[in-house]
Amino acid sequence: MMRRAAPILACLGLLAIWQLASLASENDSFPTALEAIRAIPAILGDKDSLVNFGASLRRMAIGFGIAVAVSIPLGLMMGRSRMVASFFNPLLMVIYPVPKAALMPIIMLWLGVGDIAKTLVIFLGVSLPVIYHSFEGAKAVEEKMLWSGAAMGLSAARRMVSIVLPAALPEILTGCRTGLVLALITMITSEMIARQSGAGNILFNALDMGQYDTVFAMIIIVGAMGIGLDALFEKMRARLVRWSEPQLDVPLSFS
Amino acid sequence: MEPARAQTSAVAMIEIERVSQVFQTSARQDHLALSDISLMIEDGAFVSILGPSGCGKSTLLYIVGGFVPPTRGTAKMKGRAITGPGPDRGPVFQEFALFPWKSVLGNVMYGPRQQGMKYREAEAQSRALIEMVGLKGFEDFYPKELSGGMKQRVALARTLAYHPEVLLMDEPFGALDAHTRTRLQNDLLNIWERDRKTVLFVTHSVEEAVFLSDRVVMMTRSPGRIKQIIAIDLPRPRRRSQLLLDPRYQEFIVEIERMFDDSGENEFQP
Repeated sequence: MMRRAAPILACLGLLAIWQLASLASENDSFPTALEAIRAIPAILGDKDSLVNFGASLRRMAIGFGIAVAVSIPLGLMMGRSRMVASFFNPLLMVIYPVPKAALMPIIMLWLGVGDIAKTLVIFLGVSLPVIYHSFEGAKAVEEKMLWSGAAMGLSAARRMVSIVLPAALPEILTGCRTGLVLALITMITSEMIARQSGAGNILFNALDMGQYDTVFAMIIIVGAMGIGLDALFEKMRARLVRWSEPQLDVPLSFS
Repeated sequence: MEPARAQTSAVAMIEIERVSQVFQTSARQDHLALSDISLMIEDGAFVSILGPSGCGKSTLLYIVGGFVPPTRGTAKMKGRAITGPGPDRGPVFQEFALFPWKSVLGNVMYGPRQQGMKYREAEAQSRALIEMVGLKGFEDFYPKELSGGMKQRVALARTLAYHPEVLLMDEPFGALDAHTRTRLQNDLLNIWERDRKTVLFVTHSVEEAVFLSDRVVMMTRSPGRIKQIIAIDLPRPRRRSQLLLDPRYQEFIVEIERMFDDSGENEFQP
């Protein structure tokens, strides 16, 4: 009972502090929590903003989907082949610490401000954690498990698909979960830099026009989207790896 | 019937010819793990490789399995050089190496399904095997829900399921407690008595080697060489309760332990 109520209580506490802080500061650009919440229905009821949300989510889904489809095979191959790993590792090391949004201006220069540029940034943001976790997962696959498969007559390619992939799945999904949150972050930042459409566009337009209740309402909506997507993904993940040895529970979990 | 068995058992199943194995431990240092091993294992024999840890006995088994290519020499199966793993040689590892995402039934069915057996047939055969290794009722359990002894029973059933001609057992009971280990040894012998597959069994337990084997191949510590091969001509089928009262069983154990003692290599666990 307490465990289920705790996250809700935490959210309510946060809103209460926000409310009090806002009332105390008397700052025009800091609306109260109630004002922000009151602005939410207006945003969600507006056709234009729904179109924007749709565009954002579409880019996010495409960027995330392609990133996962490319990164898992690459990470697995890196984990099982020293040659592939020594080729890609230095490349990834260089890209890893670079904030993907920082690449946005260059990408815009090349690809314009449309869907392709933004989707590419999301792709980059999601790829690295998924590659990294797939790599680690594949590396950790027990040699004897692969030998057992080889003795049954599985070819190297079949072992990759039928043994390495499922054995590394818990680790891969951990990477995907991180990737999902990063997809949301890069989605918003890409729309902040290349303003044209999307949830980030609504947020920053409102900021420009001084509609601070809309700004904060958007922050709540985006945050709620993050929580919802993460909880959904976590449900799916838990189902897929029921067989796995019990691991330490990820502390940041809303499911 | 007896002469017929004697004749077929003369056929060489596994031949190891002058096999040496060198591992590179660092850029400049090579480690000679196996030195000039030659060994013949006839069809239907239960042969144990016994030696202290680090004598390369598992490496020898991996070479026969085709998992590790030998640095020098060749290993042959039925006269043909071994170049890689194959379903004619079924490994059972100390680490079990089960597929954790598959149920007990899924694990045992994996090999037969891989070889194109129909689902129904593979399932029926696998259920029978699971019963044979004493795990009836656990078909739908996942490996994480099983004890070590049960996992090794599954691993044995999984390997038997694709009908290898040779069982390669790499310290299969090494990770189990003494009581479980004894029970699995008994059960392994009972299963083996049925069809007398060729078994190559790696162990560091003298008692286990004597109890199970037709022959015990004693190895020296690094570099691994064959020190002596001892025929264990105790009658079969063997029952532990009878063997423990048999002075010859005790003599074999004492003799082997003394031979290791003489060379200061006795580091066996009881």
